[in-house]
Amino acid sequence: MSRSLARLVLCLLLAPIVATPTMALDNSLTRVRQAGVLRWGGDLQGGEPYAFEDPNQGGRLVGFEVEIADALARQLGVRAEFVQNDWSTLIPSLERGNFDIAMNGIEVTPARQERLTFSKPYFRFREVLVVRRDQGAVHGLADLAGRPVGTLASSQAFDLLRGAAVDVRVYEGTEEPYLDLEQGRLDGVLLDNVIAERYGLRHADLQAAAEIADGVYAIGLRRDDIELRRAIDTGLDKLRQSGELRRILETWKLWDARQEQAAELPTAAAIPVPASINGAHVLLFLRGALVTMAISLLAMLVAVGGGLGLSLARRYGGRVSALMAQVYIELFRGTPVLLQLYVLYYGLAPWLTLSAFTAAVIGLGMNYAAYEAELYRAGLEAIPIGQTEAALALGMSRPQALRRIVLPQALRVALPGIANDFIALLKDSSLVSVISVVELTKQMTITSVDVRSWALPGLLCAMFYLAMSYPLSRLAQRLETRLHGGAA
Amino acid sequence: MSGAVVTARGLRTEIGGTAILRGVDLDVAPGEVVGIIGPSGGGKTTLLRALNYLTPFTDGVVDVAGHRLTPGMSERGDAAALRQVRMKVGMIFQQFNLFPHLTALQNITEAPRRVLKLDTAVAAQRAQVLLARVGLSGFADAMPRTLSGGQQQRVAIARALAMEPLALLLDEPTSALDPQLAGEVVGVVKDLAASGQTMIIVSHDLQVIRRVAQRVIVVAAGLVVEHGAAAEVLASPEHTMTQQLLCGVS
Repeated sequence: MSRSLARLVLCLLLAPIVATPTMALDNSLTRVRQAGVLRWGGDLQGGEPYAFEDPNQGGRLVGFEVEIADALARQLGVRAEFVQNDWSTLIPSLERGNFDIAMNGIEVTPARQERLTFSKPYFRFREVLVVRRDQGAVHGLADLAGRPVGTLASSQAFDLLRGAAVDVRVYEGTEEPYLDLEQGRLDGVLLDNVIAERYGLRHADLQAAAEIADGVYAIGLRRDDIELRRAIDTGLDKLRQSGELRRILETWKLWDARQEQAAELPTAAAIPVPASINGAHVLLFLRGALVTMAISLLAMLVAVGGGLGLSLARRYGGRVSALMAQVYIELFRGTPVLLQLYVLYYGLAPWLTLSAFTAAVIGLGMNYAAYEAELYRAGLEAIPIGQTEAALALGMSRPQALRRIVLPQALRVALPGIANDFIALLKDSSLVSVISVVELTKQMTITSVDVRSWALPGLLCAMFYLAMSYPLSRLAQRLETRLHGGAA
Repeated sequence: MSGAVVTARGLRTEIGGTAILRGVDLDVAPGEVVGIIGPSGGGKTTLLRALNYLTPFTDGVVDVAGHRLTPGMSERGDAAALRQVRMKVGMIFQQFNLFPHLTALQNITEAPRRVLKLDTAVAAQRAQVLLARVGLSGFADAMPRTLSGGQQQRVAIARALAMEPLALLLDEPTSALDPQLAGEVVGVVKDLAASGQTMIIVSHDLQVIRRVAQRVIVVAAGLVVEHGAAAEVLASPEHTMTQQLLCGVS
């Protein structure tokens, strides 16, 4: 819940910043020089070879971008300071001033060019389509029409895939799409060659099928920081002329003939991007909302059934089953649902290949079952022992007494809590985007990149969530009123 | 004793190592109404609950209509045997214990439908007759919370009668009621007694015992200290405990 909530809050907070351009005087270079540091944003999770923690020396940062940043800072007469930031929010964080520049394999796309100003490129990459060796002849995206192809969210490859007739699956990490390709959950992965070589092609059963397009990495700056951009461009030119850039790229085995010609930015508008929210977007949101609703409903069914079983095992089961139920509850309540989803989807993949949707339903359902179990246990405990005694005294069996007398009352006690849990589940379901399901929140982040604003997509997303959760919360209130008015 | 509906021999119970009953015998003949009186904590409710094994006993034996209860039976392991006894012995609780999520009629039909596998319509018909018998015709669809305590207790009596029990165990049936409502319940119990229903009634209210019981046993400190015809025991008690009870001293 915290994550989707954070996204909503973020986009609402950002709205005014995104909407109104900064009118301040451009003193960006002076500011950096006065501070004596060039603060650069990136995400260590991107891993080798960009910027990551030295595995041999904890805490020390290494990577070709770390070296470029250090070299550039030296050119400016300051020192470089890394600022850790989630990759997906690098641009908004740059805009709100968390750091001076963003440099972390950021591809220059038309959408980003409209929002930021970019330095000269420091690396030229190719988009590589990776497939399984057993797939036979695949020469391009046309051979994968209608098939699932994975990539990273808001990447240039994502834009390319959307233009092709394939079923696009969006991931948030570099490792996961290739794992899914190996498992057969994908039929192709399109990402740049740096990622493909390091994360894809080291799997023996995967191979490069085609190179689809070219692109460049460049340093992103706030639109008005022209002065700083010019200084960085000058610095990059010097690094290139002195051969230091080549030396850095060679150190990281990234140098190839293409890097010679990487000096200029591509002209924008290679791919047309819709400028504002339109009917097609609303339909996509509606589809996202349906996915959210379907996952939540099915997961709640799993949770209610599982929770009932757990609570009964805990209260009425033998010593062993009661203990097992308790271990389950502690385990699933005590670890993050995000981790559970990862284990279920990726960890178990070699033995149990679940589809993303199934894994989402089961993962959320099993997590919520632990909470439901505690809710029902409280409900069961709230029913006086006299109820069971009265049923037994009438000759009813213990299962009959439980099913006909105790459980209906206990569930009535638990009902407002169940409705509240369902509302929480509705929002927690946004977590399943980590296993490549595009639900409502994920749709919002995708659309917000397309239309270059968080404000409208965020508002639309919030409205859809409210439209689903408000009736539920009213229902919960009604149930609660009835319960308190009812039980004499 | 042959012909007895309920027989108990040498009943002993303990809770947490403390003896509650210390060897109690009891015989109840068909059609008889036996009152159990005695000071609080003396074991009278425990005795009643041991008769359908809601309170397990550690020693002794209970025979109910040809079925035997023995020490160490478990709710899980001896479920079938316990149900055989409980089907034939109805119980009325001090706090009524109606099922709050069911209507008055459903409270009465639930056990006949689930336990005797009676057809729903037949069970409902019989329940209507029983409701009339306890003076609650027209309350079939009432939820328990909308009924007074006296009405609830009368539904509870109808609920127990629906199983056509050989004996009815009443545990302080009027103690949670004010005198007027208690009067309604005592009226119903008197009618039952007149119709020949075997009953064992525990009460600290001697007026209730005087009005319905034919025979009285006095239980104190886990033992039967006195027993005999109700009129005699209540008129000329021999045991000091009974004398104290009658004077309202204890």
